[in-house]
Parts: sequence; structure tokens; C-alpha cells
Amino acid sequence: MTDRIIFVCTLLLAGVYFWATAQIPSLELGDPLGPKAFPRMLGVGLLIAAAMLLAEILRARKKAQSASDSDTLRWEKQHWIVAAVAAWTALYVALFEPLGYMLATLIFLLGLTGYFNRGRHLMNSLTCVLFVIISYASFTKILGVNLARGIIPF
Amino acid sequence: METLTHILNGFAVSMQPINLWYTFLGVFMGTIIGVLPGIGPSAGIALLIPITYGMNPTSALIMMAGIYYGAKYGGSTTAILIRTPGEAASVMTSIDGYEMAKKGRAGAALAVSAIGSFIAGTIGVIGLTLFAIPLTSIALKFGPAEYFTLMLFAMTAVSTLTGKSPAKGVLATILGLMIATIGIDLQSGQARYTMGIPEFQDGVGFVVVVVGLFAMAEVLRGLEGIYSGTSAAAMKITGKLWLTREEWKRSIGPIWRGGVIGFVVGVLPGAGGTIASIMSYTTEKRISKHPEEFGHGAIEGVAGPEAANNSDTAGALVPLLTLGIPGGGATAVMLGAFIMYGVQPGPLLFQNNPQLVWGLINSMYIGNVMLLILNLPLIGLFVRLLYIPQGILYPLIVAISAIGAYAINGSVIDLWLILIFGIIGYVFDKVDIPVAPLVLSLVLGGIMEQSFRQAMTISGGDLKIFYGSAITVILLVMSLISVLLPFIIPKLRALGSKGDES
Repeated sequence: MTDRIIFVCTLLLAGVYFWATAQIPSLELGDPLGPKAFPRMLGVGLLIAAAMLLAEILRARKKAQSASDSDTLRWEKQHWIVAAVAAWTALYVALFEPLGYMLATLIFLLGLTGYFNRGRHLMNSLTCVLFVIISYASFTKILGVNLARGIIPF
Repeated sequence: METLTHILNGFAVSMQPINLWYTFLGVFMGTIIGVLPGIGPSAGIALLIPITYGMNPTSALIMMAGIYYGAKYGGSTTAILIRTPGEAASVMTSIDGYEMAKKGRAGAALAVSAIGSFIAGTIGVIGLTLFAIPLTSIALKFGPAEYFTLMLFAMTAVSTLTGKSPAKGVLATILGLMIATIGIDLQSGQARYTMGIPEFQDGVGFVVVVVGLFAMAEVLRGLEGIYSGTSAAAMKITGKLWLTREEWKRSIGPIWRGGVIGFVVGVLPGAGGTIASIMSYTTEKRISKHPEEFGHGAIEGVAGPEAANNSDTAGALVPLLTLGIPGGGATAVMLGAFIMYGVQPGPLLFQNNPQLVWGLINSMYIGNVMLLILNLPLIGLFVRLLYIPQGILYPLIVAISAIGAYAINGSVIDLWLILIFGIIGYVFDKVDIPVAPLVLSLVLGGIMEQSFRQAMTISGGDLKIFYGSAITVILLVMSLISVLLPFIIPKLRALGSKGDES
């Protein structure tokens, strides 16, 4: 099942990529191939990958005709947690510049450690606060790396 | 003679206090990265690139190489004490190493992997020193067509040899090449696939892709593991951190053999440390007088694979330094680091900048000695890292990744990309699409397209240039073999087993 989904996605992607390649305006001056030729080859490469995948799917089906279809993509309970972590990280990225590195990171870390290292509030908050202050100070003041300042004035 | 002078000068470079310091810093961070699950050498090196931008290239590259081979030492500790490889290539160590730890011989398992890693790591660097010169003289004859076919070989080998399904390997390779085409085309100045986002005109940076695919994806997997209660706890070190005479006698053979296997496998593209350690393990099991002990704490099963995955790193640097073409994910990130510092590895580097190359190679002799000290008497310190609650560790890795990514351009787009590639890496892992081929082709994609178009310009659009010289023909044949190999091997095996039955 999974492989069939990948197969369909590959074909769709190839279609989109061929279309996007056709949109590139090209001026063939001194370059016999232009900017489109290599991408076109890659589009063909995607189709080859799809064909190889189809061959693998058919071969696997032949092998395990009687066996139950264990290869199914199922949404399980733990996938919700991954989705939630991804959403929390997206919120962090969205607030990174408006709030600044220190504040956004602190909120992000407190949320995740509070959930995944449950019950140890003192340890979590101390680690998060120290990490944020030390990393900000060492990267911006010592290494000269620019990190978003946000609403904090220093 | 001139080469010998260069090699000796290289020692002078690597012995400079500043470079000794960066060697130490590199192997120290490498050990930490190896011990900690969640962040491997590829993501570790990638994250350091933006932060070390203004540094002297020689020192920076010495440090990054230190992370690369240091991580292999650290990876075995995690494999032995929690049965989870801290780094992919220590997967074989986790079988017998963990069994040894259960029997109260954790000390001996850690000792043999440190000593084995040291001996094999040194064998690997000697091999690198010896092979570098002859290969560079061949590489000097390479033109664009030769480079294109060489990259084709590296990519086909990596795509069909990593992961379970060759089709998915090829798919990953093409995806990497496609990402590499995003941005302004260097020859025509035409923007391609930028989707109207100005930041994409310079292309999608490989640092964010690597950090997303390796670090962020691992964080998602790790947090999922904590939630479902599958993450393991670390065992305490038991037994003396040394070997008995009997254990030593049993280990020395596997270490030497593993060292040689690892180096040879490392030089070839595609295979890498994991395959090197599997090959060493199966070799030892086959020639052992007591194969039944394998899987139940046989010290040979730790000594051999650990040796193999360490000399593999030096082997993998051979094509990277002499030809400028990496043969796997981690060396692809190293190539990215070289390019960021304005250094192009390849035969000309040995001519134009011998101090950098030999300073880097010779620093590895010193780095291996440092690693032996860090991983034997000081191993207790690093083991403490395993007691850091993972619920704190994984969130911190995201924050560190954010700093590294934001440092590149000061743009939030890079943070979004890390998240997106993190999700992609997580999904790819679930559906068995390997990510190493994607990283390799992403780093090589730009150079590959340029050499293809240069070759076509030289030949006036005639494809004959790609099969016009002996080198290109050999490389094309080798690419073809690497594509067909996954299909041929099962057939041969089936034939072999039929033969056995009759």
C-alpha cells in the first residue's frame, strides 16, 4: 500500500516538474543545452524511478500473494504526538522573529520539556533558562552570530 | 621527494598549537555527537558550517574531520550500553557489545572498541596517505565528461546500495538533484523553480536540508519513542576497562582484518561504514572456531565491526580529497563544508594547497591518539551524557539547529525548511526511502549539471564525449554494474543455494 502511494506521488511530482520546467524562459546563446535540458533529464529519471518501483511492487505481490497485506500505512496514536510536535515547532518558527530568539526559544523549550520530561519542573525550567541565556550570549556576543532580538532590547 | 616534503610540512601544520586545539575540539565534539542519539556527524558538521564561517579553513576543516571520525568512537558507547547505535555504523556493535555488557563485561567491550578503533583508524589514515598521491595523478587527466561520469557512478552506487529498495534509492537521488536545480542557473542567469521566493534565488542551502533530514527527523522519532515508551535506559559500566590476555588474543585478528575491510569499503562509493561493519562481522563469524558465540557476547563481534567502521572514515576521505567527489552522506556534507570555505577538493588541491591537505590528513593521526585517551580513561565522563533525560535533550537539539540555520542568512525561511525537511525525513524513514543518496546528489547536483553542460559545449552537443575516453567508459560500465548489482545478487544467491541442495 505504502509503495503504491509513493508510486502515485512520484508520477504526480514528475508531472508538476515537467510543467514547471516548461515555464522556464530560455535563451539559447552559446549554450547548446540551456537551463531546461538537465531538469528534463531529471524528469525522465523520476519516471524511471517510478517504473523501478512498479517492478518492485509487482515482484513483492507475486512473492506474498497469500500473505496478509501487512504493508499498510496506518495512522496510529503516536503519530498524533509527532504532528503535535511539528505544529509546536511551526509556532516556534512563526514567533522566532516577532518575539526574538530568547523568548520564542524559552517558550518552545518549556512546552516540550514540560510534556516529555514530566514532573521535573525545576530541572526543566532551570535547563531551559540557562540554555537560552548562555546560547544567546555566546553566539551573539562572542561568535558574532546574528540571532533575532525581537522584543527584548539587548 | 617533493611529496615527502609536503607530508612533513603537513605535520608541522597539524602540530601548530591552534590546530592541535581544533583537532581536540573536533574529536571531543565528535565523541559527544557519537554518544548522543539524535544528532549524528552529518548534522553536527552541517550545523557548525555557518557558525565557523570566518575561521581559517585549515583549522575549520581539521575540526570537522575530527567530528566525522570522532563520532564513530562515540557511537560504540551507546551501542554497547543501551543497544541503540549512537551512530548508524555501530549497529553491529550493539549485538555482541550489549550482550557483553549484560554479562558484566561492558568495560572490556568499551575497551576493545576504543583500541580497535584506534588501530584501525590509524591503518585507515596510513592507507589514505599512501593512496592519495597515485589517485591525484589519475584525477589530473579528468575533464568535464570524466567528472560527470564519475559523479554518475558515485550516485548510482549510493542509490542502489543504501537502503532496502534500489527504486527508492534512485528516487531519493533524483529528488536531491531536483532540489539542487532550484535557484539561479549559473550559465544562463535564469531563475528556476524559485516559486517567487527571493531567498530561493541562491538555491536551497544544503545545511538546512541536512539538519532537517538528520537532526530534526531524529528528534521527531526520538520524541515519538519517549511517548510510546520504547526508548531504552543506559546500563552502568561494569568490569575493568581493559582486556584479559585471552580477550586480547581473540580481538587482535578481527581488528586488523576489520581495519583493512573498512578502508577498502570506505574508498568505494555507496557502501559506507554500516556495510563495512556488517562485512567484518560476517567475515569474523565465518572464520571463527566458535561461531555459535556470535550474538551472545563474542568479543570478535565487537572488535571487527568497530575497527571496520573507523578505518572506513579514512577510506571515504580518499575519493573526497583526491577526486573531490564524496561517496556517501557524511562526506557529501564535508564537501559542502570545503566549498563553503572556498576550498575545492580534488587533485589541484594537492598541488596548490598541500599544507591544507596534508595538515588535515596528518591531524587525523593525532586525533586518533586523542580519541584513544578520551574513550578509555575518560569514557566515564561521556557515559554521563547518556543519563541526560531525552525529554530535555531532543528539544535542545531543535533549538541548536535553529541557531545554526538562522546564522546562515538571518532568515526565517531556513527555519521553515528545517521543519519541512524534518517532516520529510521522518516520513521517508517510515516508508524506507533512504536520505543519504538525497544529500549526496543535492551537494553534487550543481557541479554535475555544470560538468554535463561544459562537456556538451566542448563536444558541440555530441553525446559521444561521454564514451570517448577509457576513463569515461570504465566509469559508465561501473555505474551500470552498480545499478544491476541489486538484481544480480539475489539471482546468484538463489543459484548458489540450488547448487547446495543438489
